[in-house]
Amino acid sequence: MQPLENPGTLSVRTFFEKAARALSTIAYSQEDRASDLDLIRRLAQGDESALATLYDRYGGVVYSVALRVVKDAGVAEEILQDIFYHLWRHASNYEASRGGLGAWLFVSARNRAIDRLRQRKPSDGPKEEESLPSGFNLESQVAQAELMSRIKSAMDGLPGPQRQALELAYFEGMTHSEISQRTGEPLGTVKTRLRTALQALRQVLNP
Amino acid sequence: MFDEYALGVLEGEEKRSFESHVKGCPECSPKLGEARARVALLALSAPQAHPSPAAKERLMDRVRAYRPPAPPVRLRAPFWGWGVPLLAAAVIVLAIATVLLVRRNHEMEQRLKDLQGQVVLIKKRETAEMTRAGTVLEILTSPRTLRVSLFAAPAHPVPQGKAFYNPQKGLLFYAANLPRLPSDRTYQLWLVPAQGKPISAGIFATDEHGNGEVLLPSLPPGITAKAFAVTVEPSGGEPQPTGKKVLIGVVS
Repeated sequence: MQPLENPGTLSVRTFFEKAARALSTIAYSQEDRASDLDLIRRLAQGDESALATLYDRYGGVVYSVALRVVKDAGVAEEILQDIFYHLWRHASNYEASRGGLGAWLFVSARNRAIDRLRQRKPSDGPKEEESLPSGFNLESQVAQAELMSRIKSAMDGLPGPQRQALELAYFEGMTHSEISQRTGEPLGTVKTRLRTALQALRQVLNP
Repeated sequence: MFDEYALGVLEGEEKRSFESHVKGCPECSPKLGEARARVALLALSAPQAHPSPAAKERLMDRVRAYRPPAPPVRLRAPFWGWGVPLLAAAVIVLAIATVLLVRRNHEMEQRLKDLQGQVVLIKKRETAEMTRAGTVLEILTSPRTLRVSLFAAPAHPVPQGKAFYNPQKGLLFYAANLPRLPSDRTYQLWLVPAQGKPISAGIFATDEHGNGEVLLPSLPPGITAKAFAVTVEPSGGEPQPTGKKVLIGVVS
């Protein structure tokens, strides 16, 4: 009576052990190349290392946006933590779409930072279920750096008042009339400047 | 207008009318999503800054303190690819184990039956032996039992004779197992009366088996017999016995 230790069973077990070892090695070496979609799935299953990978991937931009808005490193770090902690707790609700997670994190960072800046109640940010399909791949650091340089050169290429209006809108959460008040420009001028700046941005981003 | 709305610069009536339009416009939703993603990229224009390494450590500490409830794990294609052979192997192993166990069970049942049969047999044997012992004891102790002692049987048949004597009617005599006599000798039968000398009842010869007889010899009537005897005498007989007695029978 030794069916449990017969050679066939042993070889199957050895096979699976070897396969699991090989797969874990591959998974380790490809950690940085795992897609956002895979990382979100792993998050939903409680894999902490997936959160660390996403933090390394997007934490820098999230922190930079928050800091640019609130101008306080402590508050910016708090926002950074809150956003990733929220992602950790609600990963199973997150509807991941290709390239969408980066955009979703940036929008969250900006909204939370502006709420803190203006000391208002949290505004309606993007929902976890909301898809933000970006045609851009933000998953690799190289692609992120390339896109960053395109955006920055587009901003640099804007006339000063247009760039100022866009920055007041984006980094300080101002509306048309608030920008008009701040700059002393007529409302219509502000609207035109913003529309022109946004068109330029679209052109830079459209292939 | 989508970009302006995504940027958050719209306000008042302009904002409300845009929102009510988007609500009733199926094509608008993806457009708005694209605009939001596009505007979100302005984040990349922020001056690059780096959070302290401690910020990540604090986040991970917080994360480890809360573990999300594990959702039901769905088997995805790669797992099915492994699951089927694994399941098949498990089924085969189980089947083999089952067959072996069933066979073993059968063997054990058979052995149990054999042992039970042996127990019954031993019990029967014991009962039979007890019964026999009881019977032996009964025979040895019962008053109704005839006790007969036996001894070694003689090497040769013992000579014997039977006499039937009626004083008024006469005498019948039969003899058996008498040894053969030399030709000059003969057997002689004697009637020994209660008083007086023996009276000759005649001479007789024997056949090859040692049998001989004397039927109704002439005797004086009314004589009371005390005994009968056979002697070996010279041929023709004697008036009184002279030879050795081979048979004697006393009337009881």
